[in-house]
Amino acid sequence: MSSAPTPSPTPNSPGNVAGAHTYHCRWCGAASDASSLSCPKCGAPIDVQTAVTTDSGWNELPPIRDMAKIQFGQSFCQIEGKYVPVADFKLAVGNGIYFTHHILLWKDEQVQISAMPMAGGWKRMFAGMPLVMTQAAGPGRIAFSKDAPGELIALPLNPGQSVDVREHVFMVATHEISYDWFQTGMWFVTGSGNERETHYPLGMFMDRFTATSAPGLLLLHGQGNVFVRTLAEGEHIMIKPTALLYKDPHVRMHLHLEYPGGNTNFTWWGNWSNRFVWLRLHGPGRVAVQSHFPPMEDPGRQIQSIEPLSTRQQW
Amino acid sequence: MEPLQRIVCDWCGGQSPPGATTCTTCGAPLNVKNLVSDSGWREAPRLRDMSEMKFGNSTCQVEGEIVPVADINLGAGDSIFFEHHVMLWKDESVRMDVMPLQGGIKRALAGMPFVVSIASGPGRVAFSRDANGELVILPLHPGMEMDVREHAFLLCSHTIEYSYTRIQGLRNILFGGQGMFIDRFVSRSAPGLLILHGYGNVFERRLAPGESILLEPGALLYKDASVVMNVETQKLTTGFFGGVGMNLVRMTGPGRLGIQSMYHHHHTE
Repeated sequence: MSSAPTPSPTPNSPGNVAGAHTYHCRWCGAASDASSLSCPKCGAPIDVQTAVTTDSGWNELPPIRDMAKIQFGQSFCQIEGKYVPVADFKLAVGNGIYFTHHILLWKDEQVQISAMPMAGGWKRMFAGMPLVMTQAAGPGRIAFSKDAPGELIALPLNPGQSVDVREHVFMVATHEISYDWFQTGMWFVTGSGNERETHYPLGMFMDRFTATSAPGLLLLHGQGNVFVRTLAEGEHIMIKPTALLYKDPHVRMHLHLEYPGGNTNFTWWGNWSNRFVWLRLHGPGRVAVQSHFPPMEDPGRQIQSIEPLSTRQQW
Repeated sequence: MEPLQRIVCDWCGGQSPPGATTCTTCGAPLNVKNLVSDSGWREAPRLRDMSEMKFGNSTCQVEGEIVPVADINLGAGDSIFFEHHVMLWKDESVRMDVMPLQGGIKRALAGMPFVVSIASGPGRVAFSRDANGELVILPLHPGMEMDVREHAFLLCSHTIEYSYTRIQGLRNILFGGQGMFIDRFVSRSAPGLLILHGYGNVFERRLAPGESILLEPGALLYKDASVVMNVETQKLTTGFFGGVGMNLVRMTGPGRLGIQSMYHHHHTE
């Protein structure tokens, strides 16, 4: 299993021009004839001015131009709007997509929708993950949007490529991409007896999308702005768990606790301790974060047990 | 004598003098091409920061782009009405009153604004909603009737009549995403200006007679009174508790239909 293509934006180079009329997208690597303003596979603008890399090494997701079109199979996806963009699909005969609940904005009458069979319904329901995945089949038009300001991320996956996505980030995938999910293993327990509580800072499960035999398109939604970086072998970085959007399957992760001022417990407050809970990611591979992330629930009570790979730091 | 030349706005049909870069009636940029998707939805004009438009003896300036402000300079004799919780600031000279409304108890029970306030000129008063999105400027000409989802209305000039209409059918009330009532704005004898706030991005299309489209219930922002709304439930069988239902609203033309891309229902109370 390999990872999804690694974007390597270079702010001052106009992409990789292999031939007189061939352009290789800086974001997804797809070749195109450079006749349009954006990459036909992922919608990234061809304009070099849009490639922004921070001093700290994060690549800002190139904002998809209003009305940019992305092609997959015989179908197209047009991205409309900027604050809360809409993905407007024109499905050809024989093409299909599946999508998570509560994102359907409108559809033509002739587009057929049905529930996609999924295993592990009970577990998903208890973990707060969507129980129903819906599929739509062409021909016809159907459009989606998430109810939060942010950016759409188009990830074209080639056969054999996979990407791990945090729960509730996924929007739409084409039928060529298989959907699976796995336990994150990121947990810690506070309290005891009746007050015992298990916390999952990253969620109990993560989604895994794999292009098996044919290329496909995966659409995600990041709240706020989206930043991506590629970690080198042995490189690691700490991020807030709820800020993670997606990562390559090769990127390993574990929880890391930091105690500013030492592991001070205020026992008269029910063992409250001042700490930061981080997700530590280890390269090689790509990671993406969103700038608007939900607050992580941490009651601050003393941790009774934690996932075995976790680390601690006291300052 | 030279012929009188005017620029006609694609969004509202208003006429502006030659050389104008924004429509004097609705503020839409006149020197930018329309953004229309292949599926036929037109993006609401992205109002330039500090765009200005006129109504009666008053002007409205739109300030900011993420959570835009409608800054109204009311002329003497002009007034506007607005929902609770949208007024941002005002001059001392602007007089405030309350609009008498019929069916107050019904409105209160339906979660609609119980109090609609009136601000009268001369003076300045400004409005904004507490979420990011776009202002939609809808000049209404005599004879036009517009239905607007509850809590989407920001302000309206006094020449427009405000009422509400009960949504027909229990199924539409329960699953239509609009609640029990929908606001209705009618321009009878004089033109007026209606300003809405759409969450996220706003798109509009014109449905031909008999043409229909299925919408997520929370996506509806406004429609011509002639557009008919009916809820349909699509059963999704999962084999788990017998499956789930997905409610979609069928909107049937003729008329204009406006939608918002961030369709989570935001309560103002």
